[in-house]
Amino acid sequence: MDDLRRVGETTLIATVHDAASTAADQRIAALSATGLRKAYGATVALAQADITLNAGTVHALLGENGAGKSTLVRILTGAAVPDAGEIVLHGQRYAPRNLIQARAQGVATAFQELSLVPNLSVAQNLLLPTLPRGPIGLVSSRRAREAGAAILARHGMERIDPTAEVGLLPLAERQRIEIVRAIENAGRVLILDEPTASLAETEWLFERIRMVTAKGVAVLYISHRLAEVREICGEATVLRNGNSIASVSLEEATDEDIFEMMVGRRLDRTSRHRTSLAQTAGPTRLSVKGLGGHGLSDISFDLRPGEVLGLAALEGQGQRALFRMLAGIEKAERGETAIDGMAANLSSPRRALRIGSGVAYLPEERKTEGVLAGLSAATNVVLPIMSAAAFAAVITPQAELSAARPASGKVEMNARYLSFAIGDLSGGNQQKALVARTLATAAKTLLLHDPTRGVDVGTKQSIYAAIRSFAAEGGAVLFYSSELAEIVQLADRCLVLYGGRISQTFEGEAIAEQALVAAILGHAPSARARA
Amino acid sequence: MTNDLRQADTRFAQAGDTRTSAKVSRETISAATVAVLCVLLLVGARFVSPALGSWSQVETVLILGFFLVVLSFGQGLVILSGGLDLSLPGTITLGGILATGWVGTSDPAAWYLLPVVLAACGVVGLISALGIIWLRVPPFIMTMAMSIIVASALLGYTNGSPRGAAPYVAVALMKGHVLGMPVPVVVLICFVVLGWLFQSRSVFGRYVYAVGTNVEAARIAGVPVTFSRILPYVVSAMCAGFVGIALVGYSSGATLRMGDDYLLPSIAAVVIGGSSILGGRGTYLGSVGGAILLTTLGTIISALGFEFGLRTIIEGSIVLVALLLLREELFKKLWSIRR
Repeated sequence: MDDLRRVGETTLIATVHDAASTAADQRIAALSATGLRKAYGATVALAQADITLNAGTVHALLGENGAGKSTLVRILTGAAVPDAGEIVLHGQRYAPRNLIQARAQGVATAFQELSLVPNLSVAQNLLLPTLPRGPIGLVSSRRAREAGAAILARHGMERIDPTAEVGLLPLAERQRIEIVRAIENAGRVLILDEPTASLAETEWLFERIRMVTAKGVAVLYISHRLAEVREICGEATVLRNGNSIASVSLEEATDEDIFEMMVGRRLDRTSRHRTSLAQTAGPTRLSVKGLGGHGLSDISFDLRPGEVLGLAALEGQGQRALFRMLAGIEKAERGETAIDGMAANLSSPRRALRIGSGVAYLPEERKTEGVLAGLSAATNVVLPIMSAAAFAAVITPQAELSAARPASGKVEMNARYLSFAIGDLSGGNQQKALVARTLATAAKTLLLHDPTRGVDVGTKQSIYAAIRSFAAEGGAVLFYSSELAEIVQLADRCLVLYGGRISQTFEGEAIAEQALVAAILGHAPSARARA
Repeated sequence: MTNDLRQADTRFAQAGDTRTSAKVSRETISAATVAVLCVLLLVGARFVSPALGSWSQVETVLILGFFLVVLSFGQGLVILSGGLDLSLPGTITLGGILATGWVGTSDPAAWYLLPVVLAACGVVGLISALGIIWLRVPPFIMTMAMSIIVASALLGYTNGSPRGAAPYVAVALMKGHVLGMPVPVVVLICFVVLGWLFQSRSVFGRYVYAVGTNVEAARIAGVPVTFSRILPYVVSAMCAGFVGIALVGYSSGATLRMGDDYLLPSIAAVVIGGSSILGGRGTYLGSVGGAILLTTLGTIISALGFEFGLRTIIEGSIVLVALLLLREELFKKLWSIRR
């Protein structure tokens, strides 16, 4: 009896192992995409991407922020339709128009910004879009509960109550549920987008991944954490500026090789003036000591007149909270901020503009936090200084135009656009107007959150020029950029934010793209030595 | 169309781009449409009944429209800021009853008591605004509750039958003549000019447009958002109080339900005038046009002997049609056909 069972087990294991090894050995292409291209307006998100996922293997997708990873994922999951290129799934053309179609063909995704419905139960979320029905055809909550409990048990998550409301669970559990749901639906391809972003350990996840690859499912694994990628993935495809640069075996490629591929050849450093420390010594414009709260802890730095301070970080390391606290939108829980040496109570953006020499903020999201679409570009530019531009509280469109013109000139914005409704302008001109707004306030400190997000090359150059001349005139700039090349080009000093703390600081010539990539991925000491 | 514009934008950023913003704005079109409709209605009415469409008829419309033109300023400002004011019936009645009960026919008292009446109405608006902003009560619930509370308090205060007569100032306001013109028409014109200045040419007006478009973006841009959201409700309540006083002067007495018939028309006038019901868009001149159009329709319908019920049906239909016509897509389509 005992023996029999043991034999049975061994056979079973052997079969599973065989399936896995044959799948890997024969390298069955589960999904193969060639020449994918996707543009949003003038912005090309994906220029030319090829990727092949083999059945039963884990394939990593690597690249800097904005390299095109999310666009590729969106295309594979049917959330976006490519402009060109084609995908073959197990020998057949695969062109999903939406998530449901993709899932029907066995391609499921666990999204980084979870796609669960917060006010439904765990079981309902796991089972949607088809909930089990009772005898008279109505949705049966009992059967849903049972089916949900079975799924949870299959993935070692019995501790979660299937009837619990998803929105009330901690983030890590929600992420696990998102992953479990994707696994349940992934017959052929499983896409995991930053699956460990809110998981403390990887053991559970890797066990699940091994389970699905044993069944011959291909896994696409997207993560910024290289150590983790090396542990679970066999191959990697590197994306850079919307192009797939190479697909490599991770056993053969070194970390340096991969950074090199992610960043590209070193840009020819245009000789540019970096403010030397001697010049910047003196009073501080903005001084931050031990700032904390909203996921940040112990942030301290000084910003001096004439200095451009870059902030490098992966997405979601706390940069948004830092900017919002300094701009007076969110309250800091700990720490002190001083402007021009005077303690500053940053209670609102309006207040921040008026403390000392003033702090002006360029928000991250142009559409939702920046432009006021129905108003003219000129109104948008002069809004913070409206009372000053008015005569006895009366403001005419002409007064707005003449008040906006100097600032719009600094960002090389065509003055004719000022009288247009800002919502009718291109993204680049909207961004120019918003940068012009921060300049128009006459504040001596600018907080720029990704000042060139989603704008074309020409606009970028205009914005860089505006930042440089602002600093040259004694202004101080703190800016975050999702493009490291931008920080290399602009910053006199660069702080690296990792997990809510300043992990490293680079100065002058040490600000190099490869060193920054290593630093933002959390490779602390060695990266520093190399730099 | 917009896409083409944007692409052209990047390609011809500096060189051959000669587009201007001279195209007529959406708001101007709707204001003009409404004005033309008014004239057509008045002239057309002549064919139906010769008594209509005369100069005296125009005067009547302007005097009757006085109330709605004033109310639609406050309502328009609140809607522009992203809210809605359903407290008008209560505040109009408050203005009317305080004007007859407190002030009455004592002339000297009117000069210092009428401003107090307006201030009392302003306080009602202030309470609504604070409830909406601090307690985050949805605007329509907060203002409706205020209206019911105020109306009920007035019922108690008057024991069901308002006493007192209209102040002489209020009677003069509605029934006097200056230089051969009826006083209400002169006051109306001044009010419209000041209202237009306030909404379209003042710093505060710009702030209201900004918070109505996007509160978060306005806050980040340094707009004093709390103040800019409170003041419209205060102004609206004071406009309602003013209308209450004027109504008392017009009909020589207050009733407990004197404000009820003005709530929906005040919203209708603003919407017909081209404002977005979601805030951030619209002009006061448009609302004025909407108010006059509604009043014209009302007088024609009653002159033709239709019943009141029919009048409200027509009003409701007009608001629906206006909302449908003012949808963004329709305008875009019209523009693309023209090119």
